Amino acid sequence: MSERIIEIKGLKKSFGKLEVLRGIDSHVDRGEVVVIIGPSGSGKSTFLRCLNLLEAPTGGKIWFDGAEITDRKECRGARLDAHRRDMGMVFQHFNLFPHMSVLENIVLAPMKVRGIGRAEAEKTALGLLERIGLSEKKDAHPTQLSGGQKQRIAIVRALAMKPKVMLFDEPTSALDPEMVGEVLAVMKDLAADGMTMAVVTHEMRFAREVGSRVLFMDEGLVTEEGTPDELFGNPQNPRTKEFLSKVT
Amino acid sequence: MKFNFLEKYWSYYLIGAKNTILLAILAVAFGVLIGLVLALARVGKNKPLGFVATAYVEFIRGTPLLVQLFIIYYGLQAIGIRFPDIPIVSKVLGINFADFMAGVITMGVNSGAYVCEIFRSGIQSIDKGQTEAARSLGLSERKALRFVVIPQAIRNVLPALGNEFIVVIKESSIVSVIGIADLMYKANTVRGNTYQPFEPLLVAALMYFLITFPLSKLLARIERRMRANV
Repeated sequence: MSERIIEIKGLKKSFGKLEVLRGIDSHVDRGEVVVIIGPSGSGKSTFLRCLNLLEAPTGGKIWFDGAEITDRKECRGARLDAHRRDMGMVFQHFNLFPHMSVLENIVLAPMKVRGIGRAEAEKTALGLLERIGLSEKKDAHPTQLSGGQKQRIAIVRALAMKPKVMLFDEPTSALDPEMVGEVLAVMKDLAADGMTMAVVTHEMRFAREVGSRVLFMDEGLVTEEGTPDELFGNPQNPRTKEFLSKVT
Repeated sequence: MKFNFLEKYWSYYLIGAKNTILLAILAVAFGVLIGLVLALARVGKNKPLGFVATAYVEFIRGTPLLVQLFIIYYGLQAIGIRFPDIPIVSKVLGINFADFMAGVITMGVNSGAYVCEIFRSGIQSIDKGQTEAARSLGLSERKALRFVVIPQAIRNVLPALGNEFIVVIKESSIVSVIGIADLMYKANTVRGNTYQPFEPLLVAALMYFLITFPLSKLLARIERRMRANV
């Protein structure tokens, strides 16, 4: 039925002696929203960061859109850049470029990476800003924005590259509580639009409502996975039960 | 104290100041170029290049400027490198062009090491998340540096860089020992001619200050403007 966009086999990652990922097999299908939950230190973020090779895996293989990106030729230089431009990423701390206006933040990559002209790039950017209701902020600088606005713009910046999949690394963890909603709303909207997403989050309600599949990670392994109803309604693994009872 | 020698010798100071400024501008340009290349080598992934850059910085910082000046002044000739004496340039400068270039190169080579360290710390002061965001958008390492990291680093290093420019202007007075007719050299000439060992130096000090002070004010202004633009 649905086509695999990301396939992960035996993924391992160590920092020195510390083994953070201990062999993960998983996948993301097109149009799916995969939510990754688990206690802190379980390796969720590292797992996500391995998917676009911000962290270089120390073992295992990853395929993206049919190509093995952990292959020696694919995981470096221009080949790696080419894979990354099709994978948007949103970070916990937004990482907007503070020396550029909102509009410049969004058009930078389309212009410098995809080689799109300024007029067209700006048109796309303004359309995206309109969609999240921040058109009037196009000339503002990141320091003039609230956390929620920054994160929504960071999402738009990634979307401007028209990625095939979006990776979210705890996108609401650094936000004041009253701003979490506006960011989740954008993400829901995106999911409803059919965007393929992999989301590391502590927002259990979001996982439940938007996730098509939920992975529970513990100590560097995916120990349980299933639909939100299965995982939240009837968790099998005692660690999953314990975690869910604490956070929900 | 008597300053009536100025009536006769004021033009010496102007010529000296002109040469000092010219030398400093060329040395700074040269130093920034060297410093930028070295800094990129030091933050880059290429190990041998990084080693060469580090060795350069350590050696230049660990040896006196005067020794470097003599090494370059005599050394370039010893290995057969001699800047052609361009008569017109020499005439305009009022000094030998070849000697002048030895001064420029020494100051540039020396300043390059310090500029390298300024740029390196500037680049490394930028949050890793900035590079990660740029790379995740598909920008290559080079483009991430050029469009995201370096523009922010420059803002951070501007005070230190401005300071280095001022240091170059002041330290350039050392080239007077190889006979380059800079401000210091001219002041010494006036001292000799007038048998006044002291007063001509005060005038030279004032001249140096008149060059560096407006520059330091200008840099402060640029810095403020860049901050306002954040």
